[in-house]
Amino acid sequence: MNRLQPLNDRSIMQEEVTENVKNSFQRLIPLCFSLLLLCLSCIPFKITFFDYARSAVGLVCVYYWLIHRPDIFNLFSVYLLGLVADILSAVPLGTNIFTYLILYILLLNLGRFFNGKPFVVTWYGFAILSLITLFCKWLMVSIYYSQFLPFAQILFGYLFVVAAYPILSLLNAFVQNYLIQDEV
Amino acid sequence: MKRRRSLFIHLSYIRILAKKFAIIILFLSAFVLMLLNKTENVLVEKTSSLATDMVSPIVDVLVVPARFVAGIYDYFGEIKEVYKDNQQLREENRRLLNMYDRMKVLEVENKLLANLLNYEIPPEAQYITSRIIAEEGDAFSHSVIAYIGESEDIKKGQVVLSDRGLVGRIDSVGHMYAKILLLTDINSRIPVMVEKTRVRGILAGDNTSSPKMIFIPLDAEIKVGDRIVTSGVAGVFPSGLPVGRVLSVDKKNVIIKPYADLDGLEYVRIVNYGLKGMIDDE
Repeated sequence: MNRLQPLNDRSIMQEEVTENVKNSFQRLIPLCFSLLLLCLSCIPFKITFFDYARSAVGLVCVYYWLIHRPDIFNLFSVYLLGLVADILSAVPLGTNIFTYLILYILLLNLGRFFNGKPFVVTWYGFAILSLITLFCKWLMVSIYYSQFLPFAQILFGYLFVVAAYPILSLLNAFVQNYLIQDEV
Repeated sequence: MKRRRSLFIHLSYIRILAKKFAIIILFLSAFVLMLLNKTENVLVEKTSSLATDMVSPIVDVLVVPARFVAGIYDYFGEIKEVYKDNQQLREENRRLLNMYDRMKVLEVENKLLANLLNYEIPPEAQYITSRIIAEEGDAFSHSVIAYIGESEDIKKGQVVLSDRGLVGRIDSVGHMYAKILLLTDINSRIPVMVEKTRVRGILAGDNTSSPKMIFIPLDAEIKVGDRIVTSGVAGVFPSGLPVGRVLSVDKKNVIIKPYADLDGLEYVRIVNYGLKGMIDDE
Protein backbone atom coordinates (compact mmCIF):
# COMPACT_ATOMS: atom_id res chain seq x y z
CA MET A 1 0.00 0.00 0.00
CA ASN A 2 2.86 2.28 0.94
CA ARG A 3 4.61 1.52 -2.34
CA LEU A 4 1.73 3.01 -4.29
CA GLN A 5 1.84 6.28 -2.38
CA PRO A 6 4.63 8.03 -4.37
CA LEU A 7 2.92 7.10 -7.65
CA ASN A 8 -0.33 8.66 -6.48
CA ASP A 9 1.50 11.78 -5.40
CA ARG A 10 3.10 12.05 -8.81
CA SER A 11 -0.18 11.64 -10.65
CA ILE A 12 -1.81 14.26 -8.39
CA MET A 13 1.08 16.61 -9.10
CA GLN A 14 0.75 15.97 -12.82
CA GLU A 15 -2.95 16.70 -12.66
CA GLU A 16 -2.24 19.91 -10.78
CA VAL A 17 0.30 21.01 -13.37
CA THR A 18 -2.11 20.20 -16.21
CA GLU A 19 -4.85 22.10 -14.42
CA ASN A 20 -2.57 25.10 -13.89
CA VAL A 21 -1.49 25.15 -17.55
CA LYS A 22 -5.13 24.85 -18.63
CA ASN A 23 -6.12 27.70 -16.34
CA SER A 24 -3.31 29.90 -17.63
CA PHE A 25 -4.42 29.28 -21.22
CA GLN A 26 -8.02 29.98 -20.32
CA ARG A 27 -7.01 33.30 -18.82
CA LEU A 28 -5.52 34.23 -22.16
CA ILE A 29 -8.66 33.39 -24.15
CA PRO A 30 -10.28 36.88 -23.93
CA LEU A 31 -7.07 38.56 -25.08
CA CYS A 32 -6.47 36.04 -27.88
CA PHE A 33 -10.07 36.33 -29.06
CA SER A 34 -9.87 40.13 -29.01
CA LEU A 35 -6.65 40.00 -31.04
CA LEU A 36 -8.31 37.61 -33.49
CA LEU A 37 -11.25 39.98 -33.93
CA LEU A 38 -8.85 42.88 -34.40
CA CYS A 39 -6.98 41.00 -37.14
CA LEU A 40 -10.28 39.95 -38.76
CA SER A 41 -11.41 43.57 -38.83
CA CYS A 42 -8.43 44.45 -41.03
CA ILE A 43 -9.40 42.02 -43.78
CA PRO A 44 -10.29 44.01 -46.88
CA PHE A 45 -13.98 43.81 -47.78
CA LYS A 46 -15.52 45.89 -50.53
CA ILE A 47 -17.96 47.47 -48.11
CA THR A 48 -17.48 51.21 -47.61
CA PHE A 49 -19.32 51.40 -44.29
CA PHE A 50 -17.28 48.53 -42.90
CA ASP A 51 -14.35 50.98 -42.61
CA TYR A 52 -16.20 53.01 -40.03
CA ALA A 53 -17.03 50.02 -37.85
CA ARG A 54 -13.37 48.93 -37.78
CA SER A 55 -12.34 51.11 -34.89
CA ALA A 56 -15.24 49.64 -32.89
CA VAL A 57 -13.62 46.23 -32.59
CA GLY A 58 -10.87 47.16 -30.13
CA LEU A 59 -13.10 49.48 -28.12
CA VAL A 60 -15.90 46.92 -27.78
CA CYS A 61 -13.48 44.15 -26.75
CA VAL A 62 -11.82 46.33 -24.10
CA TYR A 63 -15.20 47.53 -22.81
CA TYR A 64 -16.83 44.11 -22.79
CA TRP A 65 -14.06 42.20 -21.05
CA LEU A 66 -13.27 44.92 -18.53
CA ILE A 67 -16.93 44.93 -17.46
CA HIS A 68 -17.52 41.20 -17.42
CA ARG A 69 -14.12 39.69 -16.63
CA PRO A 70 -11.71 42.30 -15.27
CA ASP A 71 -9.95 39.47 -13.41
CA ILE A 72 -8.59 37.92 -16.62
CA PHE A 73 -8.52 40.95 -18.94
CA ASN A 74 -6.13 43.27 -17.17
CA LEU A 75 -4.17 46.43 -17.87
CA PHE A 76 -1.49 44.64 -19.85
CA SER A 77 -4.08 42.98 -22.10
CA VAL A 78 -5.42 46.46 -22.83
CA TYR A 79 -1.91 47.70 -23.61
CA LEU A 80 -1.11 44.76 -25.88
CA LEU A 81 -4.39 45.12 -27.76
CA GLY A 82 -3.65 48.81 -28.29
CA LEU A 83 -0.15 48.05 -29.49
CA VAL A 84 -1.36 45.53 -32.09
CA ALA A 85 -4.05 47.98 -33.24
CA ASP A 86 -1.32 50.60 -33.69
CA ILE A 87 0.88 48.21 -35.65
CA LEU A 88 -1.94 47.29 -38.02
CA SER A 89 -2.91 50.88 -38.72
CA ALA A 90 -1.15 54.01 -39.90
CA VAL A 91 -1.98 56.12 -36.87
CA PRO A 92 1.02 57.33 -34.86
CA LEU A 93 2.38 54.53 -32.70
CA GLY A 94 0.87 54.82 -29.21
CA THR A 95 -2.46 56.37 -30.26
CA ASN A 96 -4.61 53.28 -29.78
CA ILE A 97 -2.73 52.37 -26.59
CA PHE A 98 -3.59 55.82 -25.28
CA THR A 99 -7.24 55.43 -26.35
CA TYR A 100 -7.72 52.02 -24.77
CA LEU A 101 -5.99 53.15 -21.56
CA ILE A 102 -8.45 56.04 -21.29
CA LEU A 103 -11.31 53.57 -21.61
CA TYR A 104 -9.59 51.43 -18.96
CA ILE A 105 -9.40 54.35 -16.53
CA LEU A 106 -13.03 55.29 -17.18
CA LEU A 107 -14.13 51.72 -16.55
CA LEU A 108 -11.96 51.45 -13.46
CA ASN A 109 -14.16 54.12 -11.90
CA LEU A 110 -17.49 53.51 -13.64
CA GLY A 111 -17.37 49.80 -14.49
CA ARG A 112 -19.31 48.76 -11.39
CA PHE A 113 -22.35 50.72 -12.60
CA PHE A 114 -22.59 48.58 -15.74
CA ASN A 115 -21.66 45.16 -14.41
CA GLY A 116 -24.62 42.80 -14.11
CA LYS A 117 -27.01 45.33 -15.61
CA PRO A 118 -29.39 44.65 -18.56
CA PHE A 119 -27.86 44.73 -22.02
CA VAL A 120 -29.43 48.09 -22.91
CA VAL A 121 -27.74 49.74 -19.92
CA THR A 122 -24.32 48.42 -20.92
CA TRP A 123 -24.99 49.58 -24.48
CA TYR A 124 -25.82 53.09 -23.27
CA GLY A 125 -22.72 52.94 -21.12
CA PHE A 126 -20.64 52.02 -24.12
CA ALA A 127 -22.21 54.82 -26.17
CA ILE A 128 -21.20 57.40 -23.54
CA LEU A 129 -17.73 56.06 -22.76
CA SER A 130 -16.78 55.45 -26.39
CA LEU A 131 -17.80 59.03 -27.21
CA ILE A 132 -15.44 60.35 -24.53
CA THR A 133 -12.70 57.97 -25.66
CA LEU A 134 -13.04 58.82 -29.35
CA PHE A 135 -13.06 62.53 -28.52
CA CYS A 136 -9.79 62.11 -26.58
CA LYS A 137 -8.32 60.18 -29.52
CA TRP A 138 -9.43 62.87 -31.94
CA LEU A 139 -7.86 65.56 -29.74
CA MET A 140 -4.64 63.59 -29.34
CA VAL A 141 -4.21 62.89 -33.06
CA SER A 142 -5.15 66.48 -33.94
CA ILE A 143 -2.45 67.76 -31.58
CA TYR A 144 0.01 65.29 -33.07
CA TYR A 145 -0.63 66.49 -36.62
CA SER A 146 -1.11 70.14 -35.52
CA GLN A 147 -4.39 70.25 -37.42
CA PHE A 148 -7.94 69.27 -36.57
CA LEU A 149 -9.17 66.04 -38.12
CA PRO A 150 -12.63 66.25 -39.76
CA PHE A 151 -14.95 66.06 -36.76
CA ALA A 152 -18.04 65.15 -38.79
CA GLN A 153 -16.22 62.05 -39.97
CA ILE A 154 -15.44 61.09 -36.37
CA LEU A 155 -19.09 61.51 -35.36
CA PHE A 156 -20.23 59.47 -38.34
CA GLY A 157 -17.73 56.77 -37.38
CA TYR A 158 -18.92 56.95 -33.78
CA LEU A 159 -22.47 56.04 -34.84
CA PHE A 160 -21.14 52.93 -36.54
CA VAL A 161 -19.05 52.09 -33.48
CA VAL A 162 -22.15 52.23 -31.28
CA ALA A 163 -24.24 50.33 -33.82
CA ALA A 164 -21.61 47.58 -34.01
CA TYR A 165 -21.69 46.99 -30.24
CA PRO A 166 -24.52 44.38 -30.11
CA ILE A 167 -22.92 42.15 -32.77
CA LEU A 168 -19.42 42.36 -31.35
CA SER A 169 -20.55 41.90 -27.76
CA LEU A 170 -22.58 38.87 -28.84
CA LEU A 171 -19.41 37.30 -30.27
CA ASN A 172 -17.57 38.04 -27.03
CA ALA A 173 -20.51 36.66 -25.02
CA PHE A 174 -20.10 33.28 -26.75
CA VAL A 175 -16.50 33.13 -25.57
CA GLN A 176 -17.50 34.23 -22.09
CA ASN A 177 -20.16 31.50 -21.90
CA TYR A 178 -17.57 28.94 -22.93
CA LEU A 179 -15.27 30.18 -20.17
CA ILE A 180 -18.03 30.00 -17.54
CA GLN A 181 -19.02 26.48 -18.60
CA ASP A 182 -15.43 25.36 -18.35
CA GLU A 183 -14.91 26.96 -14.98
CA VAL A 184 -18.09 25.34 -13.57
CA MET B 1 19.25 36.77 7.41
CA LYS B 2 18.28 40.29 8.37
CA ARG B 3 19.78 41.60 5.14
CA ARG B 4 17.82 39.09 3.02
CA ARG B 5 14.61 40.03 4.83
CA SER B 6 15.13 43.74 4.20
CA LEU B 7 15.84 42.98 0.53
CA PHE B 8 12.59 41.03 0.33
CA ILE B 9 10.70 43.94 1.91
CA HIS B 10 12.31 46.30 -0.61
CA LEU B 11 11.32 44.10 -3.54
CA SER B 12 7.72 43.73 -2.40
CA TYR B 13 7.54 47.49 -1.84
CA ILE B 14 8.81 48.10 -5.39
CA ARG B 15 6.27 45.62 -6.72
CA ILE B 16 3.39 47.37 -4.95
CA LEU B 17 4.62 50.72 -6.22
CA ALA B 18 4.93 49.37 -9.77
CA LYS B 19 1.38 48.06 -9.63
CA LYS B 20 0.15 51.36 -8.31
CA PHE B 21 1.89 53.35 -10.99
CA ALA B 22 1.50 50.83 -13.82
CA ILE B 23 -1.21 52.91 -15.47
CA ILE B 24 0.93 56.04 -15.31
CA ILE B 25 3.95 54.15 -16.65
CA LEU B 26 1.95 52.68 -19.54
CA PHE B 27 0.43 56.07 -20.33
CA LEU B 28 3.89 57.59 -20.36
CA SER B 29 5.16 54.81 -22.62
CA ALA B 30 2.32 55.58 -25.07
CA PHE B 31 3.34 59.24 -25.08
CA VAL B 32 7.00 58.35 -25.53
CA LEU B 33 6.08 56.11 -28.47
CA MET B 34 4.14 58.97 -30.06
CA LEU B 35 7.00 61.40 -29.51
CA LEU B 36 9.54 58.99 -30.97
CA ASN B 37 7.21 58.45 -33.90
CA LYS B 38 7.02 62.21 -34.41
CA THR B 39 10.79 62.48 -34.61
CA GLU B 40 10.75 59.83 -37.39
CA ASN B 41 13.45 57.92 -35.58
CA VAL B 42 15.03 55.19 -37.73
CA LEU B 43 14.95 52.75 -34.83
CA VAL B 44 11.20 53.27 -34.33
CA GLU B 45 10.58 52.85 -38.05
CA LYS B 46 12.59 49.61 -38.12
CA THR B 47 10.80 48.30 -35.01
CA SER B 48 7.44 49.24 -36.50
CA SER B 49 8.29 47.40 -39.74
CA LEU B 50 9.40 44.36 -37.76
CA ALA B 51 6.17 44.42 -35.74
CA THR B 52 4.13 44.68 -38.94
CA ASP B 53 6.03 41.66 -40.26
CA MET B 54 5.14 39.74 -37.11
CA VAL B 55 1.42 40.59 -37.04
CA SER B 56 0.65 40.57 -40.78
CA PRO B 57 1.03 36.77 -41.33
CA ILE B 58 -1.90 36.21 -38.94
CA VAL B 59 -4.09 38.52 -41.02
CA ASP B 60 -2.73 36.88 -44.18
CA VAL B 61 -3.94 33.47 -42.99
CA LEU B 62 -7.37 34.85 -42.08
CA VAL B 63 -7.77 36.56 -45.46
CA VAL B 64 -8.09 33.27 -47.40
CA PRO B 65 -11.39 31.94 -45.95
CA ALA B 66 -12.83 35.47 -45.70
CA ARG B 67 -12.03 36.16 -49.36
CA PHE B 68 -13.61 32.83 -50.32
CA VAL B 69 -16.90 33.74 -48.64
CA ALA B 70 -16.82 37.26 -50.10
CA GLY B 71 -15.97 35.73 -53.51
CA ILE B 72 -19.12 33.60 -53.53
CA TYR B 73 -21.23 36.66 -52.77
CA ASP B 74 -19.48 38.66 -55.50
CA TYR B 75 -19.84 35.78 -58.00
CA PHE B 76 -23.63 35.77 -57.81
CA GLY B 77 -23.70 39.55 -57.86
CA GLU B 78 -21.53 39.72 -60.98
CA ILE B 79 -23.36 37.09 -63.02
CA LYS B 80 -26.10 39.63 -63.74
CA GLU B 81 -23.57 42.08 -65.15
CA VAL B 82 -21.74 39.68 -67.48
CA TYR B 83 -23.69 40.42 -70.67
CA LYS B 84 -23.43 44.19 -70.25
CA ASP B 85 -19.72 43.94 -69.40
CA ASN B 86 -19.10 41.79 -72.47
CA GLN B 87 -20.65 44.39 -74.77
CA GLN B 88 -18.62 47.15 -73.15
CA LEU B 89 -15.39 45.17 -73.38
CA ARG B 90 -15.93 44.47 -77.10
CA GLU B 91 -16.36 48.18 -77.72
CA GLU B 92 -13.33 49.03 -75.58
CA ASN B 93 -11.24 46.38 -77.35
CA ARG B 94 -12.07 47.87 -80.74
CA ARG B 95 -11.10 51.33 -79.49
CA LEU B 96 -7.85 50.06 -77.93
CA LEU B 97 -6.85 48.27 -81.16
CA ASN B 98 -7.19 51.59 -83.02
CA MET B 99 -5.14 53.32 -80.35
CA TYR B 100 -2.52 50.57 -80.48
CA ASP B 101 -2.02 51.12 -84.21
CA ARG B 102 -1.66 54.86 -83.64
CA MET B 103 0.73 54.25 -80.75
CA LYS B 104 2.98 52.05 -82.88
CA VAL B 105 3.30 54.78 -85.48
CA LEU B 106 4.04 57.38 -82.79
CA GLU B 107 6.59 55.10 -81.14
CA VAL B 108 8.61 54.80 -84.34
CA GLU B 109 8.31 58.53 -84.94
CA ASN B 110 9.38 59.25 -81.36
CA LYS B 111 12.42 57.00 -81.69
CA LEU B 112 13.50 58.70 -84.91
CA LEU B 113 13.13 62.16 -83.37
CA ALA B 114 14.95 61.12 -80.20
CA ASN B 115 17.84 59.87 -82.32
CA LEU B 116 17.91 63.17 -84.20
CA LEU B 117 18.08 65.16 -80.93
CA ASN B 118 20.55 62.78 -79.29
CA TYR B 119 18.02 62.36 -76.45
CA GLU B 120 18.94 60.00 -73.59
CA ILE B 121 15.91 57.73 -73.00
CA PRO B 122 15.32 57.19 -69.26
CA PRO B 123 15.33 53.59 -67.98
CA GLU B 124 11.97 51.82 -67.95
CA ALA B 125 10.13 51.55 -64.68
CA GLN B 126 10.28 48.27 -62.82
CA TYR B 127 7.29 47.05 -60.89
CA ILE B 128 6.03 44.17 -58.82
CA THR B 129 2.38 43.27 -58.34
CA SER B 130 1.41 42.85 -54.76
CA ARG B 131 -1.63 41.46 -52.95
CA ILE B 132 -3.41 43.55 -50.31
CA ILE B 133 -3.88 41.56 -47.12
CA ALA B 134 -5.13 44.18 -44.68
CA GLU B 135 -6.72 47.56 -44.94
CA GLU B 136 -7.42 50.25 -42.43
CA GLY B 137 -9.40 53.35 -43.17
CA ASP B 138 -11.34 55.41 -40.69
CA ALA B 139 -11.37 59.00 -39.55
CA PHE B 140 -7.87 58.64 -38.10
CA SER B 141 -5.78 57.07 -40.86
CA HIS B 142 -5.94 55.46 -44.30
CA SER B 143 -3.47 52.69 -45.07
CA VAL B 144 -3.19 49.14 -46.39
CA ILE B 145 -0.70 46.33 -45.86
CA ALA B 146 0.59 44.47 -48.93
CA TYR B 147 2.40 41.15 -49.21
CA ILE B 148 5.67 41.75 -51.05
CA GLY B 149 7.37 38.39 -50.62
CA GLU B 150 11.12 38.53 -50.30
CA SER B 151 11.54 41.29 -52.83
CA GLU B 152 14.48 43.51 -51.94
CA ASP B 153 13.74 46.19 -54.53
CA ILE B 154 10.93 47.78 -52.56
CA LYS B 155 11.87 50.89 -50.66
CA LYS B 156 10.13 53.58 -48.64
CA GLY B 157 8.57 56.28 -50.81
CA GLN B 158 8.04 54.19 -53.94
CA VAL B 159 4.91 54.78 -56.00
CA VAL B 160 1.91 52.47 -55.65
CA LEU B 161 -0.61 52.24 -58.50
CA SER B 162 -3.83 50.36 -59.11
CA ASP B 163 -5.28 49.50 -62.52
CA ARG B 164 -7.01 52.90 -62.57
CA GLY B 165 -4.54 55.32 -61.08
CA LEU B 166 -2.36 56.41 -58.20
CA VAL B 167 -3.00 54.73 -54.85
CA GLY B 168 -0.28 56.20 -52.61
CA ARG B 169 3.28 55.50 -51.57
CA ILE B 170 5.21 52.96 -49.53
CA ASP B 171 5.31 54.06 -45.91
CA SER B 172 7.39 51.29 -44.33
CA VAL B 173 8.93 48.08 -45.59
CA GLY B 174 9.30 44.89 -43.60
CA HIS B 175 10.80 41.56 -44.56
CA MET B 176 7.66 40.20 -46.25
CA TYR B 177 5.09 42.98 -45.90
CA ALA B 178 4.92 46.67 -46.70
CA LYS B 179 2.64 49.34 -45.33
CA ILE B 180 1.17 51.64 -47.99
CA LEU B 181 0.01 55.13 -47.12
CA LEU B 182 -3.04 55.94 -49.24
CA LEU B 183 -3.34 59.31 -50.96
CA THR B 184 -6.38 60.06 -48.78
CA ASP B 185 -4.38 59.79 -45.53
CA ILE B 186 -3.76 62.98 -43.59
CA ASN B 187 0.01 62.47 -43.96
CA SER B 188 -0.14 62.26 -47.73
CA ARG B 189 1.11 65.22 -49.79
CA ILE B 190 1.51 64.67 -53.53
CA PRO B 191 2.60 67.32 -56.08
CA VAL B 192 -0.07 67.33 -58.78
CA MET B 193 -1.24 69.46 -61.70
CA VAL B 194 -4.30 69.92 -63.86
CA GLU B 195 -3.50 67.98 -67.02
CA LYS B 196 -5.03 70.45 -69.47
CA THR B 197 -3.97 73.80 -67.99
CA ARG B 198 -0.76 72.59 -66.22
CA VAL B 199 -1.81 74.45 -63.05
CA ARG B 200 0.24 73.04 -60.20
CA GLY B 201 -0.73 72.32 -56.64
CA ILE B 202 -0.44 69.80 -53.82
CA LEU B 203 -2.92 67.00 -53.25
CA ALA B 204 -3.44 66.86 -49.49
CA GLY B 205 -5.23 63.96 -47.85
CA ASP B 206 -7.52 64.71 -44.93
CA ASN B 207 -8.73 61.21 -43.98
CA THR B 208 -11.89 61.61 -46.06
CA SER B 209 -12.46 59.75 -49.33
CA SER B 210 -11.95 62.94 -51.38
CA PRO B 211 -8.64 64.76 -50.81
CA LYS B 212 -8.13 68.48 -51.48
CA MET B 213 -5.86 70.27 -53.91
CA ILE B 214 -4.06 73.08 -52.07
CA PHE B 215 -1.44 75.75 -52.85
CA ILE B 216 -3.10 76.64 -56.14
CA PRO B 217 -2.45 80.05 -57.75
CA LEU B 218 -5.34 82.48 -57.09
CA ASP B 219 -5.97 83.09 -60.78
CA ALA B 220 -5.92 79.39 -61.70
CA GLU B 221 -8.73 78.12 -63.90
CA ILE B 222 -9.98 74.81 -62.62
CA LYS B 223 -13.24 73.24 -63.71
CA VAL B 224 -15.26 70.32 -62.39
CA GLY B 225 -14.26 67.17 -64.26
CA ASP B 226 -10.67 68.29 -65.02
CA ARG B 227 -8.15 65.48 -65.00
CA ILE B 228 -5.50 65.65 -62.25
CA VAL B 229 -2.10 64.02 -62.77
CA THR B 230 1.17 64.01 -60.82
CA SER B 231 3.42 66.98 -61.60
CA GLY B 232 6.73 65.29 -60.87
CA VAL B 233 7.90 68.14 -58.61
CA ALA B 234 10.13 67.01 -55.68
CA GLY B 235 11.19 63.89 -57.52
CA VAL B 236 9.21 61.27 -55.62
CA PHE B 237 6.43 60.72 -58.16
CA PRO B 238 7.12 60.91 -61.90
CA SER B 239 4.96 63.33 -63.82
CA GLY B 240 1.81 62.28 -65.67
CA LEU B 241 0.47 59.54 -63.39
CA PRO B 242 -3.34 59.68 -63.30
CA VAL B 243 -4.58 60.72 -59.86
CA GLY B 244 -8.24 61.69 -60.17
CA ARG B 245 -10.68 64.26 -61.44
CA VAL B 246 -12.01 67.50 -59.96
CA LEU B 247 -15.20 66.78 -58.04
CA SER B 248 -16.06 70.30 -56.91
CA VAL B 249 -14.57 73.78 -56.90
CA ASP B 250 -15.45 76.59 -54.53
CA LYS B 251 -13.68 79.63 -53.09
CA LYS B 252 -11.91 77.64 -50.39
CA ASN B 253 -11.46 74.13 -51.71
CA VAL B 254 -10.81 72.09 -54.81
CA ILE B 255 -11.98 68.57 -54.04
CA ILE B 256 -10.55 65.66 -56.01
CA LYS B 257 -12.12 62.25 -56.54
CA PRO B 258 -9.33 59.64 -56.92
CA TYR B 259 -9.51 57.34 -59.94
CA ALA B 260 -8.37 54.35 -57.90
CA ASP B 261 -11.04 52.50 -55.97
CA LEU B 262 -9.35 52.79 -52.59
CA ASP B 263 -12.10 50.89 -50.75
CA GLY B 264 -11.82 47.78 -52.88
CA LEU B 265 -8.10 47.33 -53.48
CA GLU B 266 -7.10 43.73 -54.05
CA TYR B 267 -3.87 43.97 -56.02
CA VAL B 268 -1.56 46.93 -56.50
CA ARG B 269 1.57 47.64 -58.51
CA ILE B 270 4.58 48.92 -56.60
CA VAL B 271 6.63 50.82 -59.14
CA ASN B 272 10.27 51.74 -59.02
CA TYR B 273 10.85 54.64 -61.41
CA GLY B 274 14.46 54.92 -60.32
CA LEU B 275 13.75 58.38 -58.91
CA LYS B 276 15.50 59.67 -55.86
CA GLY B 277 13.77 62.20 -53.56
CA MET B 278 12.62 60.74 -50.26
CA ILE B 279 13.71 57.24 -51.22
CA ASP B 280 17.30 58.18 -50.51
CA ASP B 281 16.45 59.72 -47.13
CA GLU B 282 16.75 56.31 -45.52
